[in-house]
Amino acid sequence: MTRPSDVKPREGEVRGTRWEEYVVGDHLPEMRFTLTPDVIREYEEAIDCTHERHEADGRHVAVPSVLCVYLMAVLYRKYPPAQGGIMAANDFDFHAPIRADVDTDIVADGRIEEKFEKRGRKYVRYSVQFRRVHDGELIATAVNTSTFPAVEEQPPQWREQREEVA
Amino acid sequence: MSAMRRTYHVTQEMIDRYGVINGDRDIIHYDAEYARQRGFDAPLAHGLMVQGYANDVAMDLYGPEWCRRGSIKVKFVAPVFPDEDIEVAIDESGELTATGPRGVAMVGTAQLRPA
Repeated sequence: MTRPSDVKPREGEVRGTRWEEYVVGDHLPEMRFTLTPDVIREYEEAIDCTHERHEADGRHVAVPSVLCVYLMAVLYRKYPPAQGGIMAANDFDFHAPIRADVDTDIVADGRIEEKFEKRGRKYVRYSVQFRRVHDGELIATAVNTSTFPAVEEQPPQWREQREEVA
Repeated sequence: MSAMRRTYHVTQEMIDRYGVINGDRDIIHYDAEYARQRGFDAPLAHGLMVQGYANDVAMDLYGPEWCRRGSIKVKFVAPVFPDEDIEVAIDESGELTATGPRGVAMVGTAQLRPA
């Protein structure tokens, strides 16, 4: 089992990335994880869904958006998160079912696509693709746009930490 | 194609539970004082949690083809706070909205790509 918290740097653990530090075109390195029935069940409970009612080819399948809980980790492993990030937009395209009754080994990687300012906010857009490890089959692709607060918008305790480790 | 809608009652406990499986520690989802400092009335529900609701509705609407040809594109246009009812609706053309007591919170599309 790979819980998202096993692979995802968490806000406040290390200095959060400044917007100026995101490099457009940068590759977000491979992240491998094992999606298990336990994680699928916990995710589906968190979105008020029960996987028992979803089937494909006679087998229980996960709501494919379960991959959402690993999405930000692909970015954060290269660019650790600042406190107070807000999501602006998110796109997902699904390509293959994920069985809900067995473990699935998945590899994800991505790319910084764009960064821009709009109405005084600073945004980063990045893409991620998720593939099954054993045969390389594409499971899903995603494009996420998030905005991260400037240093002065960080709460004081996080601001101080940023200054200490910068 | 038919349409579907479903209403979710969002609580702080649900936001906390999503934060556990999501593996984050972003205090804008948990710290009411910090949320107010940032100009919000209360902690924010995770955007991907609200999008998760829409995915579940889409899976019921489109069936297993959603796993093979599903395409969801959303913009988060307003926050969702604890103790709000959010109605997620996908219409006949695949237009997606999530609407709460203060208006539309998420817009987009949830459609099948051509086979």
